[in-house]
Amino acid sequence: MKTGRGAIRMASNGRPVRPFIMPSTLSGRLGVWRYLILRRITQLTILLLFFGTAHWGWSVAGRPLLSGNLSSSRLLDLVPMADPFAVLQIFLTRHMLQPEVLIGAGIVLVFYALVGGRVWCAWVCPVNMVTDLAGWLRTRLGIRDMFHVNRDIRYSVLALTLVLSFLTGVAAFEWVSPISMFHRELIFGAGLGWTAVLGVFLFDLLVVKHGWCGHLCPLGAFYALVGRFAPVRVGFDAPTCTHCGECARVCPEPQVLNLRQAAEAGMIRSGECTNCGRCIPVCPEGTLQFDLRHRIGAADQSHESKPHQRRLA
Amino acid sequence: MEQNARREFFIRLAQGTALAATGGLIWSALLQQQAKAMPNALRPPGALDEDDFQALCIKCGLCVRDCPYDTLRLSTAGDSVPIGTPYFLPREIPCYMCPDIPCKVACPTGALTPELTDINGARMGLAVIDIENCLSWQGLRCEICHRECPLTDTAITVEHNPRKISKHALFVPIVHSDACTGCGICEKACPTDEAAIRVVAHELVQGKIGDHYRLGWKVDTTITPDFKPYEKSGPLPVAPDASGGLDYLNEGVP
Amino acid sequence: MEITRREFLKSSIAATTAATVGMPLIQGAQAASEDFEADWQWDKGVCRFCGTGCGIMVATKKGRIVATKGDPDAPVNRGLNCIKGYFNGKIQYGKDRLTQPLMRMTDGKFDKKGKFTPVSWEQAFDEMERQFRKAYAEKGPAGVAVFGSGQYTIQEGYASAKLMKAGFRSNNIDPNARHCMASAVVGFIQTFGIDEPAGNYDDIEHTDTVVSWGANMAECHPILWSRVADRRLSSDDVKIVNLSTYANETSNIADTEILFKPGTDLAIWNYIAREIIKRDAVNHDFVDKHCVFATGPYDIGYGMRNTDKYAFDAEKDIMAKELEVTLTAEEAIAQRRKTGEKVKQNNTKKPVKHWLITYEDFKEALDPYTLDFVSQLAKGDPDESLDDFRAKLKLLADLYIDKGRKVVSFWTMGFNQHYRGSWINEQAYMVHLLLGKQSMPGNGAFSLTGQPSACGTAREVGTFAHRLPADMVVMNPKHRARSEQIWKLPPRTINPKVGSHITKIMRDLEDGQVKFAWVQVNNPFQATANANHWLKAAREMDNFIVVSDPYPTISAKVSDLILPSAMIFEKWGGYGNAERRTQMWREQVPPPGQARSDVWQAMEFAKRFRLKDVWGEQMVPGLEAEGFESGKLPDVLDKAREMGYSPDDTLYDVLFATPENRKFKWPDKVAKGHDNHTVKAGALDWFPEKALYQEYVQFGRGHEHDLADFDVYYRDDVRGLKWPVVDGKETEWRFNEKYDPYVKKGSGFEFYGKALKELPTGDLDKPTSKEKTSLAGKAKIFFRPYAAPPEQPDDNYDLWMCTGRVLEHWHTGTMTRRVPELHRAVPTALFYMHPKDAEDRGLKRKDVAMVESRRGKVQAVVETQGRDDPPRGYTFIAFFDEGVLVNKLVPDITCPMSKETDFKKCAVKVRKA
Repeated sequence: MKTGRGAIRMASNGRPVRPFIMPSTLSGRLGVWRYLILRRITQLTILLLFFGTAHWGWSVAGRPLLSGNLSSSRLLDLVPMADPFAVLQIFLTRHMLQPEVLIGAGIVLVFYALVGGRVWCAWVCPVNMVTDLAGWLRTRLGIRDMFHVNRDIRYSVLALTLVLSFLTGVAAFEWVSPISMFHRELIFGAGLGWTAVLGVFLFDLLVVKHGWCGHLCPLGAFYALVGRFAPVRVGFDAPTCTHCGECARVCPEPQVLNLRQAAEAGMIRSGECTNCGRCIPVCPEGTLQFDLRHRIGAADQSHESKPHQRRLA
Repeated sequence: MEQNARREFFIRLAQGTALAATGGLIWSALLQQQAKAMPNALRPPGALDEDDFQALCIKCGLCVRDCPYDTLRLSTAGDSVPIGTPYFLPREIPCYMCPDIPCKVACPTGALTPELTDINGARMGLAVIDIENCLSWQGLRCEICHRECPLTDTAITVEHNPRKISKHALFVPIVHSDACTGCGICEKACPTDEAAIRVVAHELVQGKIGDHYRLGWKVDTTITPDFKPYEKSGPLPVAPDASGGLDYLNEGVP
Repeated sequence: MEITRREFLKSSIAATTAATVGMPLIQGAQAASEDFEADWQWDKGVCRFCGTGCGIMVATKKGRIVATKGDPDAPVNRGLNCIKGYFNGKIQYGKDRLTQPLMRMTDGKFDKKGKFTPVSWEQAFDEMERQFRKAYAEKGPAGVAVFGSGQYTIQEGYASAKLMKAGFRSNNIDPNARHCMASAVVGFIQTFGIDEPAGNYDDIEHTDTVVSWGANMAECHPILWSRVADRRLSSDDVKIVNLSTYANETSNIADTEILFKPGTDLAIWNYIAREIIKRDAVNHDFVDKHCVFATGPYDIGYGMRNTDKYAFDAEKDIMAKELEVTLTAEEAIAQRRKTGEKVKQNNTKKPVKHWLITYEDFKEALDPYTLDFVSQLAKGDPDESLDDFRAKLKLLADLYIDKGRKVVSFWTMGFNQHYRGSWINEQAYMVHLLLGKQSMPGNGAFSLTGQPSACGTAREVGTFAHRLPADMVVMNPKHRARSEQIWKLPPRTINPKVGSHITKIMRDLEDGQVKFAWVQVNNPFQATANANHWLKAAREMDNFIVVSDPYPTISAKVSDLILPSAMIFEKWGGYGNAERRTQMWREQVPPPGQARSDVWQAMEFAKRFRLKDVWGEQMVPGLEAEGFESGKLPDVLDKAREMGYSPDDTLYDVLFATPENRKFKWPDKVAKGHDNHTVKAGALDWFPEKALYQEYVQFGRGHEHDLADFDVYYRDDVRGLKWPVVDGKETEWRFNEKYDPYVKKGSGFEFYGKALKELPTGDLDKPTSKEKTSLAGKAKIFFRPYAAPPEQPDDNYDLWMCTGRVLEHWHTGTMTRRVPELHRAVPTALFYMHPKDAEDRGLKRKDVAMVESRRGKVQAVVETQGRDDPPRGYTFIAFFDEGVLVNKLVPDITCPMSKETDFKKCAVKVRKA
């Protein structure tokens, strides 16, 4: 139990407000970092699968394991996958696409519609690793925002992408996207794509916190819309919340932690939530847990029986 | 209060619009510049017209991966080719013209058209000879381009001309655009220090005779065909009301 | 090429400044860059590659070749080159140039299974001497051998031949030229009594009709072909015919392309001859005055081993034909026999014997070769109609027979590399002689050579197992005596027994008869057919193989000792081309590292042996000659003493540094300041290349092979001279009174060659009287029948395969593959086949195929379009690529008379690899 310096603050639900304390044991820390580690594993594994297939000829039963890149790829030469946003842009250039890429885009779209659109951002996108690093450094170095940028600007960028694709006849975002550039160059060999990524890094580090992913990226905006009604959500067990604010401190999209709305819905409902899971281990009360939308609906009637997991003793 | 909010809203709207317009302008300028970055980039076989190709290519690199000769490369930022798109440099590795066209098969979007079924129908570019530095044009017996051309005697033929200054004929290679696929094997094989035969995008080198004129004599057309009876097709053109040239005529005598 | 850094900076600074201030680069600046060339030193040279013998100019600076160009004054090429010739200046600068002797060693000692380790020349010669002595003691002169070359300089070939024949008393020296023009030689000697073509390249400009037989001249004699093309352009009356077994580049300017089935060229010639007689077109005046008719036995085998003891199981069926042949239906007609008759090959030992026949017999023999018979037999493209093919054959006969037409027939390896190569050479002369279209400007049968000095060295110097310089042979006692006289040897020093020809040296290595072999200026382990046998023999038998080469070749790889050699412009030398033109050059640059000329190597090795080591009695199994004890060479040391030699004199003293030779002093003003590394390395005060050459010319002078003096060839106004050079004048057309000083005045023509000019008389089957008739001054018109190729496609090995060259690469590619540009242009040997044949075997172009014959298999990339276009059932692959050792597939079937391998016909099967 903690020995506080001052008086113990009491939350409105009558429980004491307890801060998050990083455990001192390695296993404890690994527990806190579990989603971070899982995300990195996922991100790196996907990269590695692409890279291994391209460079070392990885295959299963003679079928290339995962060829292409995040723009369009093929799993085992069977399952096509494609970036639905890129396909949408190409579509707006008024060009007819081959069925394969349409099916591929459909598959990816359905997947993210189910697991949460921005799962892409937190679990797959390679730029996320860079921006996370920038965010972490920024906190370490105590850098403040240069100016405020409205987070909704990304929807304007998204709209602009679509308009420009239509007007210029080329997929507007695909041509400048630091994400595709970075990923392509990781797989197909380096060019100057790293400068774009460096730009993103410096922007995030020095200019605006979570500037790229949280404010500008139209792909993120696109996925935010896609994941609007995704079944996989972070559930919010309102009665246990002490409003300690630990979750908001780590959240890259803190606006989604509107606790009033969350309490009503029993979950973080905004599509902008990336399902990154950062908030879950830091919540001292276990208020936040991954859950399924329909179960949350059911739990509304009997949230008493919901198991509360306490990570801190 | 109400008024202030409305005023605030309009200002924000104007600001947003201005931002979007400026951003959009810069962005589209960037796109235009990118798209025209290297109009002579040589694309894989079956690539659509450059504009359509640029629109449709999703930059996935599947064609690059499936190229068995590592001919294709994906442009990276800083290359002079629109970013992320496949191209090849024939002097490094030319297209070896696989009969099964694996790059085209790999393309998920149709930027490499599925309509290309015979590799000899590909038109990746056009080989052009620098006749000042081509050894064969100087009289040497080289013609490597001709012998190495996969469509030898069709895409590249050798014309024999008297050399005049000795009793040796010139064996000069000539490229024919109706058959040249632009594979670049000739460029790769050319033995001069800088290739004297190079593959270039058609639009950079190919001229065009006016639609209003047809060559009256070609090797294979020597006989005047029968004249057909005149058939009226459609209404006759209507002359404009006002005569042309009036301004000129009335501007005074110099 | 390499320009010094400073010079480079000078001009490039000018160029960049101009560029940065936006000034156009003006003419003056370009002229400044041309200033580099001001201190280049130009001198004349010869192209290193084919037998055409183009003149080139070589520019050097500070010991490096900086550029070459075609020599504008060279009558052969007038300043032009082919693409190989363009790279003459780069061949010596390959990255893997050998610069020190390398020997297989383990723990500092020679070990046949050891790894190649750098050694000094001293160590190299020590071990070489030890191994030579061992082999010589055990097997005598027959136990050692030299793989010689048609790319030797005249002096190198002469030094090696003299060392072997006069020093070691061994005739086991035979050049790769055996693979290249031995059949042509037999054709010349048997027909004319003297070797080499009567005409010269100017025939091209004089003729109306060029018929190319079994020669892809467009690729293999590129500069000559541009002369043919020019002639063709000059008038539509000029006609060109390409006879080949597959469509190639030579067809491009041909008016008629005739694709025939392999081996049926024998029948096509006879059809033309029959037609000449039938149409009464024989030039009786010419034939009666200058020709006789002759024939020889048919049952002469195919030059294979007469035992299958060493054969792979799969090749035994073909090898059995060496002993007995079952006649095919066509052969039966062509040879006036019965189909299915089994013919014992009784004349394999004496295939060259021949006798006179009458014109009536000759006519009778030709009788079966009707257009019907020959067109059905010979049609090579299954997709061509018989009528079309018949029409082409008839046209061919028309062109030859047309009285108003001059005709030149050119051929190379399609004829020479032929199981009946000597016959088919003779058949070409048969037609030209019958028509009287021979030895005059624009008329003649013209055998082209492949190698730069196949004529000048291999043939004229006589680096063959049976030859001595100037067309003399070791079997002839008079020739031996004359050679011994010039070489100042005791009588009976020279071995009268013919040595092993180049393929036989390989066989001798396989069966342990030869224990020491020295490879000079060639790559026999890549270039000899049936290579699997020889590669194994080199590595697994108890023998010692020395390879002298500038580059690590396959032969070097399987050898025991590698000696680094100087290349063409790193030494003094001379070459002789196919039109009898002898050309010489100076040493232009020093060889790299410890590389040395082959002349130096021969002389250094000679220093290690004394007369007593070699001129004592020597056992030579099988030696039978008048004046010799059976199986023995006599001890000639006593006679040597009488001549003033001591038994302790070294071979170097007696053969090379003779008092006469040492009179040719170095320095010599002919050098014009050029160096001689052979002189330097040997610390000599004499000029070996000049001395050896001047000694050598004594053989030919007054004997129809006159060469000019050494210095004459170095005159600034001389671009080679065509022998015989009599009274300072070269000879344009031999045997023709108008041009040839050797022809008796008033005779018009005289075929004055002296060899084989006493013959018995007989009928078509055999000689009928022993009495010999003299045919001095006459040429022989031979009847030679069609015989089927011993190996033909069957159900199992179902495709014909032919090997050859491509324009871009020279022979086994040891030089041209080191020129990056040529390697980039043609990196690998492609397997050309008909698209339908490929499709039937599940192959696409660029697929890797496994090509397999009775003797081995190799992988090669399939090509179905491009420069060569074989008909269905036929394939072609070049042999330059050591990554595709096609000679593993080819059988060592040779023309039994010339012993030249047939590289052009074998049966293979092909599947996807």
